[in-house]
Amino acid sequence: MELNDGNLQTLTEFMRKTLDPDPSVRRPAEKFLESVEGNHNYPILLLTLLEKSQDNVIRVCAAVTFKNYIKRNWRIIEDEPNKISDPDRTTIKANIVNLMLSSPEQIQKQLSDAISIIGREDFPMKWPDLLTEMVTRFQSGDFHIINGVLRTAHSLFKRYRHEFKSNELWLEIKLVLDTFANPLTELFKATIELCQTHAMDINALKILFSSLTLISKLFYSLNFQDLPEFFEDNMETWMSNFHNLLTLDNKLLQTDDEEEAGLLELLKSQICDNAALYAQKYDEEFQPYLPRFVTAIWNLLVSTGQEVKYDLLVSNAIQFLASVCERPHYKHLFEDQNTLTSICEKVIVPNMEFRSADEEAFEDNSEEYIRRDLEGSDIDTRRRAACDLVRGLCKFFEGPVTAIFSGYVNSMLGEYAKNPGVNWKHKDAAIYLVTSLASKAQTAKHGITQANELVNLTEFFVNHILTDLKSQNVNEFPVLKADAIKYVMIFRSQLPKEQLLQAVPLLVAHLQAESTVEHTYAAHALERLFTMRGPNNSTLITPTEMAPFTEQLLNNLFKALALPGSSENEYIMKAIMRSFSLLQEAIVPYIPTLIGQLTHKLLLVSKNPSKPHFNHYLFESLCLSIRITCKANPTTVGSFEEALFPVFTEILQNDVQEFVPYVFQVMSLLLEIHTSSIPNSYMALFPHLLQPVLWERTGNIPPLVRLLQAYLEKGAATIASSAADKIPGLLGVFQKLIASKANDHQGFYLMNSIIEHMPTESIVQYRKQIFILLFQRLQSSKTTKFIKSFMVFINLYGVKYGAIALQEIFDSIQPKMFGMVLEKIVIPEVQKVSGPVEKKICAVGITKILTECPAMMDTEYTKLWTPLLQALIGLFELPEDDSIPDDEHFIDIEDTPGYQTAFSQLAFAGKKEHDPIGDAVSNPKILLAQSLHKLSTACPGRVPSMLSTSLNAEALQYLQGYLQAASVQLV
Amino acid sequence: MPTKNATDDRLNKFKNKGKEPSKLRERRIAECVELRKAAKNENFLKRRNISTLPEDEVLSPHFNTDDYKVTLTTIKEIVGHVNGDCKERQTRGCQAARKLLSRECKPPLKEIVEAGLLSRFVEFLGRDDDPSLQFEAAWALTNIASGTSWHTQQVVEHGAVPAFIALLASPMLHISEQAVWALGNIAGDGPAYRDTLIECNVIPALLSRITPDTPVGYLRNLTWTLSNLCRNKNPFPPLSAVQQVLPSLLQLLHLSDQDILSDACWAVSYLTDGSNDRIDVVVKTGIVPRLVSLMGFEELTVVTPALRSIGNIVSGSDVQTQVAIDAGVLSALPRLMRHNKASVQKEAAWAVSNIAAGPAQQIQQLLTCGLLPPLIDLLRNGDFKTQREAVWAITNFTNGGTVEQVIQLVQSGGLEAILNLLTVKDSKTILVIMDAINNLFMAAEKLGETDKLCLLVEELGGLDKIEMLQNHENDTVYRTAQGLIEKFFTDEEAECLQTEATDTSFIFKTQDVQKTFQF
Repeated sequence: MELNDGNLQTLTEFMRKTLDPDPSVRRPAEKFLESVEGNHNYPILLLTLLEKSQDNVIRVCAAVTFKNYIKRNWRIIEDEPNKISDPDRTTIKANIVNLMLSSPEQIQKQLSDAISIIGREDFPMKWPDLLTEMVTRFQSGDFHIINGVLRTAHSLFKRYRHEFKSNELWLEIKLVLDTFANPLTELFKATIELCQTHAMDINALKILFSSLTLISKLFYSLNFQDLPEFFEDNMETWMSNFHNLLTLDNKLLQTDDEEEAGLLELLKSQICDNAALYAQKYDEEFQPYLPRFVTAIWNLLVSTGQEVKYDLLVSNAIQFLASVCERPHYKHLFEDQNTLTSICEKVIVPNMEFRSADEEAFEDNSEEYIRRDLEGSDIDTRRRAACDLVRGLCKFFEGPVTAIFSGYVNSMLGEYAKNPGVNWKHKDAAIYLVTSLASKAQTAKHGITQANELVNLTEFFVNHILTDLKSQNVNEFPVLKADAIKYVMIFRSQLPKEQLLQAVPLLVAHLQAESTVEHTYAAHALERLFTMRGPNNSTLITPTEMAPFTEQLLNNLFKALALPGSSENEYIMKAIMRSFSLLQEAIVPYIPTLIGQLTHKLLLVSKNPSKPHFNHYLFESLCLSIRITCKANPTTVGSFEEALFPVFTEILQNDVQEFVPYVFQVMSLLLEIHTSSIPNSYMALFPHLLQPVLWERTGNIPPLVRLLQAYLEKGAATIASSAADKIPGLLGVFQKLIASKANDHQGFYLMNSIIEHMPTESIVQYRKQIFILLFQRLQSSKTTKFIKSFMVFINLYGVKYGAIALQEIFDSIQPKMFGMVLEKIVIPEVQKVSGPVEKKICAVGITKILTECPAMMDTEYTKLWTPLLQALIGLFELPEDDSIPDDEHFIDIEDTPGYQTAFSQLAFAGKKEHDPIGDAVSNPKILLAQSLHKLSTACPGRVPSMLSTSLNAEALQYLQGYLQAASVQLV
Repeated sequence: MPTKNATDDRLNKFKNKGKEPSKLRERRIAECVELRKAAKNENFLKRRNISTLPEDEVLSPHFNTDDYKVTLTTIKEIVGHVNGDCKERQTRGCQAARKLLSRECKPPLKEIVEAGLLSRFVEFLGRDDDPSLQFEAAWALTNIASGTSWHTQQVVEHGAVPAFIALLASPMLHISEQAVWALGNIAGDGPAYRDTLIECNVIPALLSRITPDTPVGYLRNLTWTLSNLCRNKNPFPPLSAVQQVLPSLLQLLHLSDQDILSDACWAVSYLTDGSNDRIDVVVKTGIVPRLVSLMGFEELTVVTPALRSIGNIVSGSDVQTQVAIDAGVLSALPRLMRHNKASVQKEAAWAVSNIAAGPAQQIQQLLTCGLLPPLIDLLRNGDFKTQREAVWAITNFTNGGTVEQVIQLVQSGGLEAILNLLTVKDSKTILVIMDAINNLFMAAEKLGETDKLCLLVEELGGLDKIEMLQNHENDTVYRTAQGLIEKFFTDEEAECLQTEATDTSFIFKTQDVQKTFQF
C-alpha cells in the first residue's frame, strides 16, 4: 500500500463504517480492514491518520485499530511468517514515542499500550534507544509529556512485580536501572519541589500528584525483584520524601466525592505498598526507617475518615501494621500499653464500625452483603484488615489486647443499653470485635474451630446474643439479629448443645423476618447446625429433638421462599434439603403438599435457570422426598412420577441443558424403586437416550449411564424382545465411552450391566467384537483405571458364562491370548482392584479360571496356575480399604461446580452398591477352598504337587487356613 | 513465558530430584546478574596498601591533596627522578609515587600509568642491590594493581609477574611480603591472570615461605593471596594447582589467627563452590571436621566462610553430605540458624535446604538432631531471604521425606509456617510453597487423609490465600493455584479410539485387526 492520500481516504471511509451501528455495514468494513492489514505501510497509514486526520473520531478510531493491530501481529512466532514488514517495524519504533507524547490523552493511552506491547517483544535488545528517548523527556518540563512517559514506563516495568527471577530479566532490569533510576530520582525530587511552589494551584497539583503516584508505582516495580544498589544508596532521598508525602495534607486536593479515591489517597496508598515491600523484603536495610513509617501510617489511620474513598488506603495501611507487628524484632514498637490501647481505640475499633455504606448494602444489596460477611469475599475491606491486625497483635499481646477490647466491648454494650434505638451500631461493633478476637481458626464445614480462651463465648451468648434472638419482634434491629444469628452459626462448635437447642426454635422464627439478610442467615445457621456431628457419627441434633418444631420449620422455610428477594435463595433451599435429610420419615405426612410446591418451583426455574446452587438443592430435595416416602411405601413412586414427568418432559423437550443431568438422576432413582417390569413410559424414552448429541455433553454421561443401567436392571427382557434393534446403539455407547480415558469406567459400568442382565442369546453375536475393542484400547493406551475396570469385567464375564467360555473367546481372537492377559495383566495387576464388590468379582472369577478351566491344567498355561493362585491369595490378604464412605447427610454440596463443566452429582439420588454375585458366594475364600478341593479330587495328586513346588510359604499358610475353614483337604 | 513449572530449574539442581539419578543438589546458583550491592561479608578481591611507614614524615600536603594540578606537578617531578640514573633520586621518585598511590582519596593510579612509569618500576623490582628501591617500586605497583582490571592489566603487561615471583625469594621479609601482596592483587583480578600466575609456578614459590617462623602478618597476606588463587569459576583453577595448595591450606586452618582462618576458609569455600569432583578433592583431605568446628567460632569473619564451605559441601553428593553430617554439622547448624546476623541465618538455611534434598535417612538425621524447630522459626521470623531458603528446605523435605517424616513436619508447624508465606512478594517462592503443599497432599493421599489436610489448610487460612493466588498476575502461579484448588479442594472427575455415529445412535463396530495384540 502506497502512503498516499487516496489510500488514506479509503482507510478513513472504512474506518468510519466500522463505527456504524448497522452490522451489515460494520462487518464488511471490519473484514476489509483485516484483509489489508498484511500490507506493507498499513500501520504507517494508521499512524498518519491518528496524527493528521481532521476528524477526531477517526483519529481515536485509528489509534484503537493500531493498538489492536500491534497486539495481534507484533509478536514474531517461530516457524510462522513475520506479519509486519521490517521497514514498518523500524518506522513505527522510530516515531511512536514522539507521536504518543504529542497526542491528546485519549490517543496517548492507546499508543502507550502499543508501546508496551512492542516493548514486551523488542525491549531492550531490539529497541535499545527506547529508554533514553523517554528519559530525555523528563527534562521537557511539560508534565503532560512526562506523565505520558511515566505511564508507558509503568506498563513496561510492571511485569517485574510478578515474573520469575532470571538472568535475562535481571539484565533488563539492570539496564533499566542504569538509564532510568537516576533521572527518575531527580524527577521525583523536582516534582516534590514543584508541589511546594504550586501549593495553591489546584490544576498544577493534580497533574503533579498523578506524576508522583506514577513515580511511586515505578519505584515499586523497580524495587520488587531485589533491592537495587542505586536505590539502596538513595534510600534516604526516597524514604524521607515518601514519609513526608504520607504526612502531607493539602485541602485543595481533598475531594467531595465520597466513593472515588482522590489523588492524595491513591498516592498514599501506593506509598504504603512501597513501605510494606521494603519491610517485607529488605528488612535489614529498611530497619532505620521503619519506626517512622509505623508512626506515620498509624497517624494517617487515626486521621482518615470513614468514607468509602479511603477504603483502599485504610486497608493497605492497616495491613502494613498487621504485617509489621507480627515480627519479633518490631514487637517493641507496639508493646507499650498506651500504644496498644491507642491502636485498639483509634485504628481497630473505628474500622470495625458499621458504616452507612454497610447499612445500604444490608438493606438494598443483600447478596453482596452476604458474600462479604459470610463467604469471606471481604479481602480489601476495612473490617477484614482490622481483623487481621487484631490477629497479628494477638501473636505477642493476646492478653493485653483481649483486656483492652473487653473494656471496649463492655462500654459499647453499655452505650447500646442506654438507648438501643440510637446506639444499636455500638452493639454491632461489639459483636464483631468479640468475633474477631475469639476466632483463631475457622472452616466452612465446622465454623470456628479454635477460639481465644480468654473470651467467654457462652457467657456472651447467654447475655447478649440470646436476648436479641428472643425478642418478640423479629423485624426490629435486623442488623443485630443477623449478627446474633451469625454468632450462633460461626461459634456452633464452641457452644454447648443445650444452648444450640435453645437457639433452634428462635432461628426457625427468624426465617420469617422481612430482612433478606436476616432470614437468609437463619436458614444458613439451621442448615449448619443440622450438619453437626453428635456421638456415633449421628447428627448432633436428632429428629426427636426437632419433633416439636418440625411443622413450624417446614412451614417457615417454604414461606421464606415466598419473601421478596428470596424466591431463589440458595441458603433456604439448602436448609430445606438438610431438614428433609435430618427429619427423614417425620416429613412423610407433609410431602403431598410439599412436593407440589417443589414441582412448581422447578417449573418456574426451568424457564431460566440462573442460580445453580439453588437448583441443585431443589433437585436434592426432590430426591429426598422420593426416597424417604418410597422407603416407607414403594407404591407411592407412581404418584411422584405423575407429579414430576410433565415437568421433566418439558425440560427434556426444551433441552434445558443445566437440568438434563438432574432429570436423568431423578428418573434413575424412580425407576430403581419399581419392583415389577419397566413401565411403558420409560420404554418410550429409551431410543432417545442413545442419541449421540446427549453423550457429547460430559455432564450427561454419568447420569445417563446410571439411567441405562436402571433400564437394564428392570427391563433387559423388554429391551431384548421389543427393542432388539437398539442393542447395537447401546453397544455403540459402550464403544464411545471406552474410547475415552476419562469415561472408560462408565463404559464398563454399562457393559457389566449388559453382561449381567441381558439374555445371553441377544448379545452372543457381539461378544467377540466387544473383546476386540477392549484389546485395542488396552494396546493403544493402557491406564491403571482401565486395567482395573477391565479385570472386573473379564472376571464378571467368567462368572456369568464360565471360565472355559472366557478362555475360548480370548484364544479365538488370537492364539495364546488368554495366557498373555493372565500373565501380563491379571497376575501383576489384580491387587490394584479396589472396592469390596469389585474384589469379590475378581476373586470368584479367578477361582473359576483356576478350577474350572481345563486349559489351565493341560496346556502351556499350566505354568501360570500357581502364580495366578498366589495373586488371588494376595488379593484376599492385602489390607482392606476400610474407610467407610461419609454418610450422605453430611456431604457438603457447597463446592459443586457449575453445570457446564462437570457432572453435578445429586448426593441424595445415590445409588446403592450393587453386588452381581450376591449371596451366591458369601465367602470367596471358602469358595476357593471348596473349588480347589473339587479340582483335586478330579485329578488326584496334581494340585498338592503344584502348590508345593512353587507357591510361596506365606501364601501356602493362608491357603491352609482357607481349607481348614472350609473343612476340606486337598488330595 | 515459561510454560513448565518454573521451580523445575532450581529443583533440578537439587540432588535426587526429578527422575534422572544424575540430578544434583543445588549449586550456588550462578547469579551472573546482580541488582544488589556486592555482599558486604565477602573478602576483598584486591587491596591497596595505604599504611604509612614509621620513617615517613607526616604526609605533606603535596601527597594528600585534591588539587589535581598539584598532583600533576608532583608526577612530573617523579618522572624526572625515576627516569634519571641517580639511585637516590630513583628511590625518592619511587617513594613519592608510592605515597601518592597510598593516599586515602583518589589516588592517581591512571596518571601514574600514563606517565609511563610502570616499565621503570618493574625494572626496579630486579634491583637486588638496592632493597629500598625494590620495596618502594613493589609497593607502588601493588597499589596500581589494586585498581580496576585495566590498571592490573597495565602492571601485568609490563612484565611484573615473573619479577614479583622472583622477588618472593627476597631475603628481606618486608619486600617478599610486598610481592605476596602484589601477586594477590593480580590473582584477584580474575581467572585469566590467576592462571597466568599459576603457570608461572607462583604456588610453590609462595608455599616455600610458610615456615614455623614466618610472622603472622606475613602469613595473613600469604593466605589472602592463596585464597585469590583458589577464587573464581569459569574456569576453575586447574586441579593440579588445587592439589598443591590444599595441604598448606589445611595447615593454615589449624592456626589460631582470625584473619588467617578467615581467608583460609574463604579459599576452601571457593574450592568447594563447584561440581562434585571439585568438592571431592577438598573432602578427601579430611578438612571437613575442622570446618565444622570453625562454624562454632564466635568471629563472624570465620563463621561466614566456614558456613559457606560446609554449605557448598552439602550441596554435593549424598556421600559428601554424609561426611559433613558425620563431622557434626547438624549440631552446629541450629546455633547458626539462631544467629543474630540475618546473613548467617540465610546461609544456614541454605545448607539445611541442601541436606533436606537428600535421601530419607539424611532427612531423618535432620529430625533427630532437632533442626525442624529452628527451621520453622526461620520461616516465621527470619528475614525474607532466609525465609526463601527455609521454604526450599521445606519443599525438599516434603519431596524426599517419608510419609512419617512429612507428618512430623506438619505437626511441628511447618505447614502453617509456609502457608503464611503465601502472601510473600516473590512469585518463585510462592510457587515453591505450592510445590510443598502439593507434596503434602500426595502424602495425605497415601494415608487416605486428604480431607483432613484440606480442613487443616483451610483452618490455617491457607485456602483463602491459595484462592487469592488464582488472581495472581504471574501465569504459572495462578495456574498452579488453580490446579491445587481443582485437584484437592473441589469434588471432581480425552479419546483413544474412534467411534462413528449417526443422528440417532453410535455405530458399534470394530476396525479390522491387523496387528497382533501385545500387552
